[in-house]
Amino acid sequence: MAVLSTDRLIFSLSDNLEIEACTYKYSPESRLKHMGKHKPGINICLRSSDNQWSVVLKIIKHYQEEGQGSEVVQGVLLGLVVEDRLEITNCFPFPQHTEDDVDFDEVQYQMEMMRSLRHVNIDHLHVGWYQSTYYGSFVSRALLDSQFSYQHAIEESVVLIYDPIKTAQGSLCLKAYRLTPKLMEICKEKDFSPEGLKKACIGYEHMFEEVPIVIKNSHLINVLLLDLQEKSTVADKHELLNLSSSNHLEKSLQLLMDRMDDMSQDIGKYNTYCRNLSKQQQQKQQYLQRRQQENAQRQSRGEPPLPEEDISKMFKPPQAPARMDTLLIAGQINNYCQNIKEFTSQNLGKLFMAEALQGHNS
Amino acid sequence: MSRFFATGSDSESEESSSADEITPKATGTTFNKNKEAFTPNLILCCPLRFRFEELTNIIKTIRNAMKIRDMSKCLEEFEQLYRAFLKSKTIVDKEGVPQFYIRLLADLEDYLNQLWEDKEGKKKMNKNNAKALSTLRQKIRKYNKDFETEIASYKENPEQSAEEEEKDDIGSASSKSDDDDDEGITAKSLMKKKPQEEEKKAPEASKFLKGAADEESESDDDEDSEDWGSDSVDSGGESEDNEGAAASLAVVFLKKAQDGDKQHEPKKDGRRKRHKKIEQVEEEVDEDGEAEEGGWEKVKGGVPLVKEKPKMFAKGTEINSAVVIKKLTEILQARGKKGTDRAAQIELLHALSGISNENNLGQGILVKIKFNIIASLYDYNTNLAAFMKPEMWKKCLECIDELLDILFENNNIFIGENIAEDSENLAISDQPFRVRGCILTLVERMDEEFTKIMQNTDPHSQEYVDNLKDEGRVCGIIDRLLQYLESKGSTEEVCRIYLRRIMHTYYKFDYKAHRRSLGLQGETKSEQDQEESEGEDSAIIMDRLCKFIYAKDRTDRIRTCAILCHIYHHALHSRWYQARDLMLMSHLQDNIQHADPPVQILYNRTMVQLGICAFRQGMIKDAHNALLDIQSSGRAKELLGQGLLMRNMQERNAEQEKIEKRRQVPFHMHINLELLECVYLVSAMLLEIPYMAAHEFDARRRMISKQFHHQLRVGERQPLLGPPESMREHVVAASKAMKMGDWRTCHSFIINEKMNSKVWDLFPETQCVREMLVRKIQEESLRTYLFTYSSVYDSISMETLSEMFELELPTVHSIISKMIINEELMASLDQPTQTVVMHRTEPTSLQNMALQLAEKLGGLVENNERVFDLKQGVYGGYFNRDQKGGYQQKQNYQRDQKGGYQQKQNYQRGGYRNQNQSSY
Repeated sequence: MAVLSTDRLIFSLSDNLEIEACTYKYSPESRLKHMGKHKPGINICLRSSDNQWSVVLKIIKHYQEEGQGSEVVQGVLLGLVVEDRLEITNCFPFPQHTEDDVDFDEVQYQMEMMRSLRHVNIDHLHVGWYQSTYYGSFVSRALLDSQFSYQHAIEESVVLIYDPIKTAQGSLCLKAYRLTPKLMEICKEKDFSPEGLKKACIGYEHMFEEVPIVIKNSHLINVLLLDLQEKSTVADKHELLNLSSSNHLEKSLQLLMDRMDDMSQDIGKYNTYCRNLSKQQQQKQQYLQRRQQENAQRQSRGEPPLPEEDISKMFKPPQAPARMDTLLIAGQINNYCQNIKEFTSQNLGKLFMAEALQGHNS
Repeated sequence: MSRFFATGSDSESEESSSADEITPKATGTTFNKNKEAFTPNLILCCPLRFRFEELTNIIKTIRNAMKIRDMSKCLEEFEQLYRAFLKSKTIVDKEGVPQFYIRLLADLEDYLNQLWEDKEGKKKMNKNNAKALSTLRQKIRKYNKDFETEIASYKENPEQSAEEEEKDDIGSASSKSDDDDDEGITAKSLMKKKPQEEEKKAPEASKFLKGAADEESESDDDEDSEDWGSDSVDSGGESEDNEGAAASLAVVFLKKAQDGDKQHEPKKDGRRKRHKKIEQVEEEVDEDGEAEEGGWEKVKGGVPLVKEKPKMFAKGTEINSAVVIKKLTEILQARGKKGTDRAAQIELLHALSGISNENNLGQGILVKIKFNIIASLYDYNTNLAAFMKPEMWKKCLECIDELLDILFENNNIFIGENIAEDSENLAISDQPFRVRGCILTLVERMDEEFTKIMQNTDPHSQEYVDNLKDEGRVCGIIDRLLQYLESKGSTEEVCRIYLRRIMHTYYKFDYKAHRRSLGLQGETKSEQDQEESEGEDSAIIMDRLCKFIYAKDRTDRIRTCAILCHIYHHALHSRWYQARDLMLMSHLQDNIQHADPPVQILYNRTMVQLGICAFRQGMIKDAHNALLDIQSSGRAKELLGQGLLMRNMQERNAEQEKIEKRRQVPFHMHINLELLECVYLVSAMLLEIPYMAAHEFDARRRMISKQFHHQLRVGERQPLLGPPESMREHVVAASKAMKMGDWRTCHSFIINEKMNSKVWDLFPETQCVREMLVRKIQEESLRTYLFTYSSVYDSISMETLSEMFELELPTVHSIISKMIINEELMASLDQPTQTVVMHRTEPTSLQNMALQLAEKLGGLVENNERVFDLKQGVYGGYFNRDQKGGYQQKQNYQRDQKGGYQQKQNYQRGGYRNQNQSSY
């Protein structure tokens, strides 16, 4: 297994030698600021997830080899919990498999992989999974479900989202997410009705919590990286300064618009539901009033009151649309917006810089 | 000798019983029949029988008289009998003394003797009676001596009776008879008393008397039956020859010679036999009758007419018009009846026409017969849906031709539907002939049958071509009829025949006129001659005929058809403006949906032809509009009546299918569907591609042609794109090239060998159309290019453009000017440098996207507000202030965004903002 052998290679390289990740292309200092920041109200003391460059490189490699366009690659993260940090020391990908080979058993494959890794004395504890993303579109039902099952089984598991497009633009984009305890509860109860969500008081902002990442490397890897930096061409280096923005923005807008359409559709559905509900409430009210009046009349005439009927049977509330999808869409929209904002602010900076440069030249 | 022997010979009894057949009530009406039998000629033909009849009659009266003891009457009758017997002496000699005569003599003698002995009775008798009794007694005694042997033998047989005794008795009776004269007792009472006395005196005698009485009654019966028998023989004799009668008479005699006892059985047997015979005979008669009746019936049915054909009229009958007419009506009566052999009828009518021709019966009858021949030719096929056999139809064609010949030769024949049968004048030649019948209808029917034949012939066979050759003859006939009706017919009829003429003209392209208009002369002399002889252009004919119809017609349908045909003809000959104006003036587009299907089909054909005409003239938009309706439905084939679409049976049952099949247009009139589709797609391409380029980012862009888009999509869906094969693929490939502004490729896709052979060569002016197309492609490609790439340019030199698209500079100039005027292109022309300066006001794709997003956001917010309103409305204080505030903040934010957007708009330059502000 090619992947395995390289893993071993990298592993041997990164063997316990810890050095701080130095500036590489885009300053990770900003990220380092996040380190040590306590999230209030979270029970699990996950201060940070310690990432290793070997893991990052492997994920990138995996995407470069298998992922294309909007296709998504996934894999398993391995590591261990150290004090209040989650250290991710290794990973392996899920193989891409088509519908044809039904024999393939993912779980067995994972177990097999982990066993093999243990044999070569690598951390083999399952601590989460990773996924690539296309223009930041990852907030979906599938992710929610699988992350929920992970988190349910292994409390400290995280999901790493790798955005290859942004990375290609010159800034490594890797984010770790966990479901908030609130969402966990809701998922446990499987109550996605409007009332349930209202009671849980959850909004799209409170669905995922981002866990800060610190990337640490062995010295050997740092050496390798520096060497690679030396070798890279000028064009590669200045990818960061690329001024063209419309393409990326257009794509993002397109995706945003799609989500918007979904959103308005959902709202429309919810709207009709609300209207139906209120109409029925009115009817119910009317019915009850009539019944009361009648009973009052009967009482005055000395007759026994009408028997109580099961009102909930007579007025079956309309099927409420599941609100979780709407929530997810909202989360996704938020995500897109963040992305776009980030992108535009960076670009704006670049544009000003370019303008200044031009002014300086002339 | 029994009757069995006599009846043994079949022929006789058959005949007699067959005679019975005719008068089956003979038994009941014996007497009348007898009277009838005494007709003089019968006496002449059978004296013997008459004599015997006479005798038996007399005997009867004698017996009657005996019963009432009327002696004088008895005497009288006896003398008569005696004379009659003498008269028939010759026969009696020949035949021997008849039995009944003998019996009477014997009986009478006995009776007289009896009376004679009855003294008291004698006393009671009146004088006359007694006297008569004695004389009779003496006479009979004397007379009986001649027949002694016979009487003796007779008496021996039935009863023993002593002759002597009897004689004595008679003698005494006669002696006493005078004494009893005065007694006024009725004979009847005497009769009653007498047997009593006799019983006392002589039991034997009483026995005898009884026997006699029995005998009497029997003989009465016998006589009845004899009468009946003889009667039957009589009536048989009426029809049969004398020999048979004699034989049967003999039978009767023989029968009568039999004894009383024996007579019963044979009679019964005879009757039984007779019944059987009757049955038999009846059967035979039936058979005969069937043969005969069959013959008779089939006269009606028509088969024997064939047999009779050679002698349609009896030999020697003087054939005059009356007879022929009678025969004609006779034949015609069979028309439409079941079992009529229609083929035979046609032949018969032909024969009749031949006869009338031979005998010079005049044209009137001939015309009448011809009419009927044609009618029965049409009748040949009972099913309206089925088509006539071409041979039959050709016969019909000939007939009509001949009829027209006659009509043209003879000016004095009036024909018309409204001439009543009885007011017809077929024979009298001094007056003008009047014949009922409508030649126009016949010709129309003939034409329809022609259409049907064409519909039912395989269009790709030689047969079709052969059949199509007859179209010339049809046209010829219609032309001739047209001439005829122009001089004689009513305007209505003229309109109808004009329409027929139009229907045969409108779809044909007039190559001669076309060539003439191009200024080409016929290559050879003969062709020139032909051209000259051809007469006027079809356009002129159409014009004349149609205008007549417009002016004179009173039925809407004919006018509608004429207009449509006229338009079609104009369009076919590329007279676009005339065609279009006529179409617009007629306002047919508004009310065509109320017309019947054939007219609608004609309308569709006309519209299609109009569209194709517009295309040829380079009016792409008009062409597209005209063809849109037909093509967009995807049922062009059906709408043009050029074939049925495959549909499941639920939508259409067999009946409907038949009807629809009948509506189909014959193949030679078809409009090429591929040409139609190609014209439509190409015109759609020329319109749609620049439009698409111009409105690339317009969210609410509507497509001009759905079908074209469909084709494009089909093209896109192809996983592997090879070089185009079909016409559609060519157009799609061309469209793709045009999208890039690559007119050369587009041109090569639209106009090439394949497309030429498939489509463009079908036009009469192929070259012109191709030139027009190239030019259109260049122009539209230029427009597309400018739309697509204007954002890339700051300015373009018009010269470069004209070089790129191989268009003249003025053309480029005009196209760009037009685009600028229409605000399609945000640019200005820089005259001195001959360049187009772009203004760059079109929003970029990102801006477009942002606009769309803003729009969607607006919708989203609106939706959200609605939800919120609902919540607020129902649960007034449900939300706390904070949330409300939050919402309001959101709104504010929204407003800010809007402001931002407006600012952005302001940033843009004038033209675009003005254009778009209206939508916000």
